[in-house]
Amino acid sequence: MRQIVRRTAIAVAALIPLAACSPGDAGEKTKLTIATFGEFGYAPLIAEYEKLHPDITVQNRVTDFDTHHKGLATQLATGHGAADVVAIEEQYIPQYRKAADKFVDLAGYGARDLERQWAPWKWAQGTNGAFVLGLGTDMGSLALCYRRDLFQDAGLPADRDEVAKLLPDWAAYAATAERFTAKTPGVKFADSAGTVYTAMLNQSPENYFSQRDDSFIADRNPSVRNAFFLAGGIAAKGQTAAATTFTQAWNVAIKQGSFATVACPAWMLSQIKEAGGDANRGKWDVTTVPGKSGNQGGSFLTVPKQGQHPKEAYELARWLTAPEQQKKLFLSDGILPSEPAVYEDPEVVAHTDPYFGDAPTGRIFAASADQLRPNYRGLRDADVRPEFGRALGRIEDKTDQSVDQAWAEAVQQAQAALK
Amino acid sequence: MQHRLARFDRKVTPLLLVAPFFALFVVFGAFPLLYTAWVSLHDWNLLEGDQGHLGLANYGDLLTDPRFYNALANTVGIFLLAAVPEFLLALGIAALLDRPLRAATWWRTGILLPNVVSVVAIGLVFGQLFSRDYGVVNEVLGWFGVEPVNWQAKTWTSHFAVASMVLWRWTGYNALIYLAAMQAVPGDLYEAAALDGASRWRTFWSITVPGIRPALAFTAIAGTVNGLQLFAEPQLFDAGGSGGTGGNDRQFQTLVMYLYEKGFTHFDAGYAAALTWVLFVISALFALVNYRLVRRFVRSA
Repeated sequence: MRQIVRRTAIAVAALIPLAACSPGDAGEKTKLTIATFGEFGYAPLIAEYEKLHPDITVQNRVTDFDTHHKGLATQLATGHGAADVVAIEEQYIPQYRKAADKFVDLAGYGARDLERQWAPWKWAQGTNGAFVLGLGTDMGSLALCYRRDLFQDAGLPADRDEVAKLLPDWAAYAATAERFTAKTPGVKFADSAGTVYTAMLNQSPENYFSQRDDSFIADRNPSVRNAFFLAGGIAAKGQTAAATTFTQAWNVAIKQGSFATVACPAWMLSQIKEAGGDANRGKWDVTTVPGKSGNQGGSFLTVPKQGQHPKEAYELARWLTAPEQQKKLFLSDGILPSEPAVYEDPEVVAHTDPYFGDAPTGRIFAASADQLRPNYRGLRDADVRPEFGRALGRIEDKTDQSVDQAWAEAVQQAQAALK
Repeated sequence: MQHRLARFDRKVTPLLLVAPFFALFVVFGAFPLLYTAWVSLHDWNLLEGDQGHLGLANYGDLLTDPRFYNALANTVGIFLLAAVPEFLLALGIAALLDRPLRAATWWRTGILLPNVVSVVAIGLVFGQLFSRDYGVVNEVLGWFGVEPVNWQAKTWTSHFAVASMVLWRWTGYNALIYLAAMQAVPGDLYEAAALDGASRWRTFWSITVPGIRPALAFTAIAGTVNGLQLFAEPQLFDAGGSGGTGGNDRQFQTLVMYLYEKGFTHFDAGYAAALTWVLFVISALFALVNYRLVRRFVRSA
């Protein structure tokens, strides 16, 4: 008898969690989680989504960039712990595209019908042939953020149209760095060599790998070499603040006004505001980036297979990336839409940012997006990219490495990383 | 019947009582160790899993990898830079606390405080102290006309900064262990020494230090194992965050940081597993050598 009681108890205990999961249960809400990094501006949208769908609750998990993407790798490897909807940044897309079998093919829910919403290159980044890995969120059109007051101090034109004329390309940018430093030696011209280098690379259709056969071409691709030597030259002359984006040093440098320009993707504006605070309101301005356009960053919403509710997760991702929501995100948080219909929307184009001296950010970023030539990232981009960034960092660290030596070492280490 | 039950009880109960420990050890100790060994013999991608058997190729690559030796040298360098002053400082603090003190408990608890503070908090605070542009250390050095130092940029400055975090965190802990041992040293030895007219300095080195040898051995072994696994302090010190490699020239990348980079940035789990095992063997060797040294030291006394 006792045995029977115990067995029944075990059986009942085993059933309880199952019952909690069954979707048909009256009064039980479907719980969805969405994992993002940095600032996606999703909080008000999620509240709205829950109001539209009373049977669904959504929890947003936010971590920092590196933790987010490394954590996702572990979650996919162990098959546990990934959110229902996970954001992946464009740099990490090639790595995760290789593990497509761990993700739901969104084409199965009709995602291909949405293709025309996005700029074609954005759609292509999130797909792999017929396989739809992710739906595009924002994009990182490039502009140039600069300190109007510091330009004036250095006797340079400070008006945003004149600055754009002064800096049509990166050679002009380097020459202006010389002029600026000669007048105001206490302030640096750029935030870091890495920023200049990355912006230049993002303007060329190919960088480390060949678009044709994915072979390593960094050692002979003039775009990479030119970008490295131009950025390295600025660094070697001590014209950068040696402050890497996303670091505490960078935030402090913004706050203290240690540098005058930074090539800024659309998403960086909110970081400048946050780091600069009210004290720097109106000192910054935005203009066209040298070289006219380019894209850096931007993310995708994916649905890992291990989730319990792939259909609901897809619906959430589709809704969050739909044109109406992208428009709201731009107007509230300046997060740049990746959908032409939205960034060409009159209300978006007319948008100005009071923090940046009422700069017409809508118009500047939309123009940059329009002229964009998408660039090819190789499958192993993430293995070689950091080597070049560190090489520029070594020049800024004043480790007695010349630009030539740093370049030679970067190429050699990148080749070693691919073995 | 009762007799048999009693015998059963005597034989099986002790085993049942220790079983939870062994169960936990198998799940969290032995299994990961063996599974790691198995992974290390494969070309294993963190995301895609097993990509084929490699035999000992991962180990072969590791032993010819200059970055491995760089990380090993950094780890040992930072360890020595931290351990030697830590050891002497802890002895000195323990000796001071061993004397009659007002509010002794307060002092004794107080020195443990750095050890219970979260290592992340320590990393953040020291990161600010050693900051290039606004750090207190550079500020103070500036009073003496020293140019601001970019602590992260050079090998020895970065090692110094990381070692100072380790020193801060572990000195109090070691001092408390020494103090506990010192209080067990028989009082009549001190009386005898005092009668013989030994100085306080002489008494300390001839009676106190030999008297706490087991504690010294314990801290030497535990400190070595901790030191070889150094990760959080240098990683937090890296401006590149968790994507960093211990500086642009890997000048303060430790073994575990390199392991983390291989496994979680490059997703090369097989190589990271091989590195784990090599680290395990190195730790075991170091611990063995230390144990032997201390035992010889005890016998010869």
